Amino acid sequence: MLQAQGVHVRRGSKQVLQAIDLSLHAGQVLGVLGPNGAGKSSLLGALCGELTPNQGQVLMQGLALAQWQGAARARALAVLPQVSSLDFSFSVEEVVGMGRLPHASGVQRDAEIIEQALYAADAQHLLGRSYLALSGGERQRVHLARVLAQLWPGAEGSVLLLDEPTSALDPLHQHTTLQAVREIAQRGTAVLVILHDLNLAARYCDCIVLLHEGRCHATGSPQQVLTPQALKTVFGIEVLVQAHPERGHPLIIAR
Amino acid sequence: MKRLLAPRTLFLSLGLLWLLAIWLSLALGPVSLPFVDTLRAGLRLLGAPIAGQGLEQAELIVGQIRLPRTLLGLLVGAVLALSGVAMQGLFRNPLADPGLVGVASGAALGAALAIVLGSGFGGLPEALAPYLLSLCAFLGGLGVTALVYRLGRHNGRTSVATMLLAGIALTALAGAGVGLFTYLADDATLRTLTFWNLGSLNGASYQRLWPLLLVVCVVALWLPRRAQALNALLLGESEARHLGVEVETLKRELVFCTALGVGAAVAAAGLIGFIGLVVPHLLRMLVGPDHRLLLPASLLAGGTLLLFADLVARLLLAPAELPIGIVTAFIGAPFFLFLLIKGRG
Amino acid sequence: MMRRPSVLIALCASLVFAAVAQAEPLPQRWVSAGGALSEWIAALGGEARLVGVDTTSQHPESLKALPSIGYQRQLSAEGILSLRPDVLVGTEEMGPPPVLAQVRQAGVRVELFSSKAELTAVDENLKHLGTLLGAEQRASTLASDYRQRIQALQAAIGQAKTHQQAPGVLLLVGHGGGKPMIAGQGTAGDWLVQQAGGRNLAEHDGYKNVSVESLAGLDPEVLVVSDRALTGDAAVQAMLKENPGLSASRAARDGRIVVVDPTLLVGGLGPRLPEVLQSLARAFYPQGNVSFKP
Repeated sequence: MLQAQGVHVRRGSKQVLQAIDLSLHAGQVLGVLGPNGAGKSSLLGALCGELTPNQGQVLMQGLALAQWQGAARARALAVLPQVSSLDFSFSVEEVVGMGRLPHASGVQRDAEIIEQALYAADAQHLLGRSYLALSGGERQRVHLARVLAQLWPGAEGSVLLLDEPTSALDPLHQHTTLQAVREIAQRGTAVLVILHDLNLAARYCDCIVLLHEGRCHATGSPQQVLTPQALKTVFGIEVLVQAHPERGHPLIIAR
Repeated sequence: MKRLLAPRTLFLSLGLLWLLAIWLSLALGPVSLPFVDTLRAGLRLLGAPIAGQGLEQAELIVGQIRLPRTLLGLLVGAVLALSGVAMQGLFRNPLADPGLVGVASGAALGAALAIVLGSGFGGLPEALAPYLLSLCAFLGGLGVTALVYRLGRHNGRTSVATMLLAGIALTALAGAGVGLFTYLADDATLRTLTFWNLGSLNGASYQRLWPLLLVVCVVALWLPRRAQALNALLLGESEARHLGVEVETLKRELVFCTALGVGAAVAAAGLIGFIGLVVPHLLRMLVGPDHRLLLPASLLAGGTLLLFADLVARLLLAPAELPIGIVTAFIGAPFFLFLLIKGRG
Repeated sequence: MMRRPSVLIALCASLVFAAVAQAEPLPQRWVSAGGALSEWIAALGGEARLVGVDTTSQHPESLKALPSIGYQRQLSAEGILSLRPDVLVGTEEMGPPPVLAQVRQAGVRVELFSSKAELTAVDENLKHLGTLLGAEQRASTLASDYRQRIQALQAAIGQAKTHQQAPGVLLLVGHGGGKPMIAGQGTAGDWLVQQAGGRNLAEHDGYKNVSVESLAGLDPEVLVVSDRALTGDAAVQAMLKENPGLSASRAARDGRIVVVDPTLLVGGLGPRLPEVLQSLARAFYPQGNVSFKP
């Protein structure tokens, strides 16, 4: 769906990304892990067109990203930034409704979608509240609902990029959020999600990219990527990796 | 979410207030006309065949003095309020003001140039002379805003933060220019400059309404088409871009509409402050920030508020007149402080 | 739209002066937008006809009781019309033009006068006012009297100059003494000083703030103080207190400081001028017997 081919990105004098090759596939959740400054946000920036690679290219459905314009692009690609600053007292449904801007699906259909997206983000109880009156975690879920509404219901050909969607959430909502992400992926959307929590990544991602100093250190399934050796190199931590007793995915335990 | 007013109630009350303001603006003035006469004069202006004693005087006052003044107030108020919405959207800050991009200070500079050097413009076509002040103010506002916009652009993108700083710097520069002209001016010219800086709807005439009407139509038809894009812009520029909004185009349109609208308003009526700040802010408290409601509501409320301010301006010291900028500042500044204190609590 | 000003004027006039039946009756209700003009109207016995004046009309004192139409350059059409005037008089400084057009359209005569500081302007203005007031005789007496007094004064000053050099003078316009503006070339203040036989030391154009240092450097022999807030001795004391640099000047040492009313300096030559010129000239030439009495 979305492909980065030999992408290099320079910010000022610093080369923040080097020779990145990766592809997002329909129905797959790709997790991006790496320590602070490894280039995770730059990668997301390059993949959504906010940063222009000075070498290499990003293709969406085989077409260079820059070729995609306006509403057509917004119908295929949704992005959830790490923080959103909104200083105006929109209601929750108005904020989520903005996700429907690139569509002309009509007020009634939009209202249904807004409700379903809020439900998916476990934020349906916030309906009717003012955005400004919400807590940080609630705001994050409302924005998640917004990007879900933008691609709703999610289909092959669409791409969702999420920058640390769980950073402000309590443990329960970290799971509900990633569950919602999985569900939209099941309907065909290709998803990339930047995460900090290794165990969350191990559980919800089909594929993981481990970034280290602007380079792809490892790519593959959680079992392939999340090895004590790789984590020692990239994060500098000593860990034990065991299989989850019920689900079988890797479980990372700090020593 | 619970708003103070449902949209339907809001537009109904705004519409009624708007009509009330128009009626009062036509019916009240230093010359006291019986309400019946105002009505009959109004009907005569519309072509109804009514005759009666003293109606000529009433028709003259209503038709030639109060009506153009009322229309000027409606247009200026509307375009100032709309520009306020546009700027608060562009800067994503509910306390932004059309003055931020330098349009007001540029217009003031143009006006000072025209007032102080007015007679020095040799070889100017005779027909243009009465419009020299308006023209200079308009071009000054447009010029400074264009410069602010140009300075904010880098690598094909416009940085709102840079524009803000450029606006501050150019406002200071234009202020220095006005100061220089003030220094060069003689006493009488100085008074003219002072009064111009305070704004007035005095002396409105139909000929002078046309250019403003044209500009207001452009702004009032254009901005509402971009209402949803403006909503998205409040989320942030990149968010808006991801929602399919052509952000650079939108920003250019907002700056252009503001420069055009405020430039024309200032050219027609001098500097009138606070309408652009207070009206959108007040309405946002009543209906929320959705531009689909906010823009048309501002259009109505801007005109209404300015007409009420003008009534105070012309009645308070009658037969003399208070500059309207003083009245709007007396309303606007305490309101601004109220917001400040309320926001803190 | 029908415009028949004569009908309206006749209507108003007939209410007041039913006996008068002329083709173009004299205007009975006057609005004056010019300080000097209002003074002349009062001097011509027309004060009772004034129904409104602008903010520059401060003399005679009784005018302040009349409705104020605001500053002469910022008149309001409807404000003026609400006074139901027959005529609006003012100088070429009166405005804004669209308002004057509206006033004219409402059938009010708008009569323009010169605010130039010239004797011929006084002659013309008085003649024009006299005609409008129906006091031609009195106007021409006033005008010739005025001319005579000024000319007599000029002669006396000319005489005095043969014995004494023209003194260097500065005219300061202040507000409670603070930050005075100096009357430069081309100002009414400059004209006043020149006419009284003084030599204006200020070389700039218009009214400008001047630094204390250069004030001291000019070292005027006579100071003319015109204060908007204070009169008489209080104005002099305030000016010296706020501007210590002046105290060292010859004028302050010799006590040669004269106070003039700032309302004299706006809107053309008024009836009080000869007296003021005389008092200034006497201060400039204390030895000479300067007077406009032959």
